[in-house]
Amino acid sequence: MAESGTRTPGWIYALQVASVAVMWVFVLGISGWILHLNRLSQRLHDVPSATVAIPIVAIPVFLTGAAVLTYVFVGLQRGARAAGDESGEAR
Amino acid sequence: MSDEASHETRPAHGLDAVDVSDLLRSVERPGSGFRVATTLLLLVLLGAWVIFGRQLLYGLGVTGLNQPVAWGFYIVNFVIFIGISHAGTLISAILRLSNAEWRRPITRMAEVITVVVLGIGGFHPVLDLGRPDRMLNIFSAGRLQSPLLWDVSAITAYFMASTVYLYIPLIPDIALLRDRGARPQWLYKFMAWGWRDTPRQRKVLERAVSILMVLVIPIAVSVHTVISYIFAMTLQPGWHSTIFGPYFVVGAIFSGIAALMMVMIVLRKVFRLERYLKQIHFDNLSKLLLIMSLFWFYFTFSEFLTAFFGNEPSEMRVFFYKFSGPYAPWFWGMVVCNFLIPVVVLSFRRLRTISGIFIASTAVVIGMWLERLNIVVPSLANPRLPYPSGFYVPSLVEWAMFVGGIATFMLGFVLFARFFPLISVWELQEGREQAVRETMERVESYLPDPRPRES
Repeated sequence: MAESGTRTPGWIYALQVASVAVMWVFVLGISGWILHLNRLSQRLHDVPSATVAIPIVAIPVFLTGAAVLTYVFVGLQRGARAAGDESGEAR
Repeated sequence: MSDEASHETRPAHGLDAVDVSDLLRSVERPGSGFRVATTLLLLVLLGAWVIFGRQLLYGLGVTGLNQPVAWGFYIVNFVIFIGISHAGTLISAILRLSNAEWRRPITRMAEVITVVVLGIGGFHPVLDLGRPDRMLNIFSAGRLQSPLLWDVSAITAYFMASTVYLYIPLIPDIALLRDRGARPQWLYKFMAWGWRDTPRQRKVLERAVSILMVLVIPIAVSVHTVISYIFAMTLQPGWHSTIFGPYFVVGAIFSGIAALMMVMIVLRKVFRLERYLKQIHFDNLSKLLLIMSLFWFYFTFSEFLTAFFGNEPSEMRVFFYKFSGPYAPWFWGMVVCNFLIPVVVLSFRRLRTISGIFIASTAVVIGMWLERLNIVVPSLANPRLPYPSGFYVPSLVEWAMFVGGIATFMLGFVLFARFFPLISVWELQEGREQAVRETMERVESYLPDPRPRES
């Protein structure tokens, strides 16, 4: 494996962090939207009981997806850093 | 000794150089075929959008939609595309979960199908709105009580989970491309997320894939169940059925497997992947397709027999509209394509050749599209309320968007193949290194334990 090819420039690392952040913005945005619709139905007395199931199911799914992606990102970065430390190479 | 301290980084991809070169051919040596295919598909897509411009200017009046048939091709295509998406993530997740070793060259293509068709399918209800800008109203005033909003939530969740499920197992192959100097380098460096194939990174990757494959199965099942609810939750004859949820899920998996085999056969030919996509893979998938064909027939039979025995006038109007009325050719075409052709072709070893499987798979995809047409239109054309019967003939705009959807599907595959390997290189490698030993150990564990020696 070409070692030089595995080194990540700073701006690419920043882009990677930004992509994970965008994922969280998306997930939190969707969750916020679902909660907004839930509150709207309560305010309008528009069968609020029927709107409870969607937030209970959907929001944890979105959060789990984003959490898994973050876990992978952090795990891979730590793995790369550890391997880099051993070979005396910066990230 | 910790994983890191051991300083053991596995050999990156121990497949021999010819294998890796074969598998990366579409990325490293795309040739002029890629440019020609992309240009042609973009032209088709552009043509479709130009024709669709008429709908943006004049509204839904330019389609064949009318009263009482307010749903047509757009919703049929929405249901079929979302159904086909079950090819990927669901089949891939089930095969991974059950340790089916033959899955290795198949999973990537299946996952790509899911992401591409979900994007296409999910867009169709927007086309059906007539005023696409009104889509924005669901952000401020959507009703979560409506099955349509359940669809939006479920499809968005499935799209996110499938994209993550496609991306995470792709990381080692992206790193391989990065290390081989593939262009654009910045893209592979960005997407590889610092992958160096250390044991610790492998562990993280495997754990994430394990979580995702468990997560996506219920999501995939819920997506098509929820899609069936947009029909079943109404009191329309032919739609208000308790078995619609599982019926739709079975149909989705059925069409998904068929679409996957079509894609595999075409790509095998185009990219000369015969060494990797072997007869055994098609044989195994064919058996699944055959089983799903029988399931589909069982559900269809149950659905129609119940309606027939109930003999309710409004139900019978829909029933005869399909059996012997204007939709009879489409109904019986559906039966031939979904049941007769696959059962005959796939039951006999002599007919179960690659060509035979391609014919059966194509028949199933056409048959499932006809099934969706038979579900959507006849019930609307014969409403329970005392309105006159209607009829539906799709217009040029709807045909154009249908062709555009297919072109987008093909374009999605062409672009994916240009930048990423269609077969998972690292999973094939892992299969060669570990799977044989693990499978032997697993088989031994199924067998009775050796009898303890008598003293």
